[in-house]
Amino acid sequence: MIESVLVANRGEIALRVIWACRDLGIRPVAVYSEADRDSLHVSFADEAVCIGPGPVGESYLNMASVIAAAEAMKVDAIHPGYGLLSENAHFAEVCEACGLIFIGPSPEHIRRMGDKAEAKKLMVGCGLPMLPGSPGPISDLGEAEAIAREIGYPVLLKAAAGGGGRGMRVVIRPDEILKAYQTASREAEAAFGSGEMYMEKYLARPRHVEVQLMGDRHGNLIHLGERECSVQRKYQKILEETPTVALTDAQREAIWGDAVKGASELAYYSAGTMEFLVDGDGNHYFMEMNTRIQVEHPITEEITLVDLVKEQILVAGGAPLSYEQEDVSFRGHAIECRINAEDPETLAPAPGQITAFNVPKGPGVRVDTAAHEEYFVSPFYDSMIAKVIVHGRDRDEALARMRRSLDLMVIEGIRTNIPLLRKVLDHPGFVAGDYDTHIMDEILPNIGMRG
Amino acid sequence: MDIDQLRELADLAIEKNLAEIEIEQHGVTVRIRRPEAHVVAAPMAVGPAAHVVAAAGDASAEPVSAYADAHMITSPMVGTFYTAAEPGADPFVQVGDQVTAGQTLCIVEAMKLMNEIAADIDGEVIAVLQENGQPVEYGQELFAVRPS
Repeated sequence: MIESVLVANRGEIALRVIWACRDLGIRPVAVYSEADRDSLHVSFADEAVCIGPGPVGESYLNMASVIAAAEAMKVDAIHPGYGLLSENAHFAEVCEACGLIFIGPSPEHIRRMGDKAEAKKLMVGCGLPMLPGSPGPISDLGEAEAIAREIGYPVLLKAAAGGGGRGMRVVIRPDEILKAYQTASREAEAAFGSGEMYMEKYLARPRHVEVQLMGDRHGNLIHLGERECSVQRKYQKILEETPTVALTDAQREAIWGDAVKGASELAYYSAGTMEFLVDGDGNHYFMEMNTRIQVEHPITEEITLVDLVKEQILVAGGAPLSYEQEDVSFRGHAIECRINAEDPETLAPAPGQITAFNVPKGPGVRVDTAAHEEYFVSPFYDSMIAKVIVHGRDRDEALARMRRSLDLMVIEGIRTNIPLLRKVLDHPGFVAGDYDTHIMDEILPNIGMRG
Repeated sequence: MDIDQLRELADLAIEKNLAEIEIEQHGVTVRIRRPEAHVVAAPMAVGPAAHVVAAAGDASAEPVSAYADAHMITSPMVGTFYTAAEPGADPFVQVGDQVTAGQTLCIVEAMKLMNEIAADIDGEVIAVLQENGQPVEYGQELFAVRPS
């Protein structure tokens, strides 16, 4: 029986865990850096311990401090939130070694799925579809041509040693492959010291669809539907919605089925999310698994009425799942927008002092935030300051509620991405449900991404 | 709030070695402060219901006036404060002792590791601010030292 939880995080997710603790009658204990001394998560916890100065490495990521605080406050369990220590297998091990319950999966789950290449191998072994590609590095042009013929054009050549768009070339037609292979390889050699190349099927209009999973320690595992997270800027999600309009109902059932199959093979427990890429025909391909609660979890909560954080805590305490698969139903449509403190032109984080703050309210509106009227957005932490979540009986109602909510979300003193998010909600492709991960390139043509 | 409730609050403050305890109920606020505990609180009373706030130390708080000239030695980490090298041994320092920079004053234990905390100046120990075996947080005041 968990009676107290140390929240090893800050900001809105720390508050989120505190809400769940209070609902369960569990004593929440906060930890904070000196920069977060006046934070809401500190005010609303039953007790709070200062664990270090502002910089994250000296405070929230300082495992010794977090564990020492847990021991001093005699808590039963630690909830790591998302980011920070949540996918640190070593931290999960240390918690167990110190007799503290880590609210999440096992260290082994974290380790295996944290290694992206290993995770892909494991999931393919379970029969999950993966993006076709070269099994290993390509030895020469001849092999490149053969593999491309087999998986079908267009293909993507990627540097084995690098990323960020360098050493990457899209090859649309067979007669382009020679030049593409040579140039990409030379570029990779210059940038990363290795000209070794991999090949993957290129999806022209990929969509990002993920499945929420929840398991207990008695072998039960269910899914709670999917979320579409294709609105991304530099691989950072800024808007998510559920259900996805990219898939038919049959395709949704198929992606749920694969996610449950893969996670069950791992004997997974606690919250987790399996991420897939979806192509123009609605086929899904396994990308990776996140072994933690995610930022966008509220939209799943809105359409299922399941409190995911509460369920994590219950499951960690040894309880069986509160729901069977047939108990899970989906109602309506939900959308989340992430409000970031950032410069609208350069898109760089923009810390500063908030001078006015009004959150939208009303039917179907939920705002998860630790910001307030006198909040100082610190340069030490990431720039997300609030999540605006709306729920409606259908997608049109949800869109209208989100437009209204963003218009009524007044934040003064700092710059935010609210105007950018507002543009997404008027983008014809987005409104029609016909968009993919390149949508931000269309909305921000001057600040594109390479590769 | 009657006298019995006040007495209970005072007992609670002493039992738990709280520097300050503040309770607000039905528009009436009572604050009990124990100067000998030498820790000044940042009260965090929240909500309309009665809410007891316990102070556990605050690095940015004003020093109590008796130590206005003192140099405060604060904890560089979260852990448990020990005045001696092991149970039953003599404490490293006592009030009135002269100490030199680098001299071990106490131990803060974190995760079974004993960390010796040293004086960073020469001077006289004028106060020991935490009790043996008490949990301390980052920045919490441990000793007041009058620089020599």
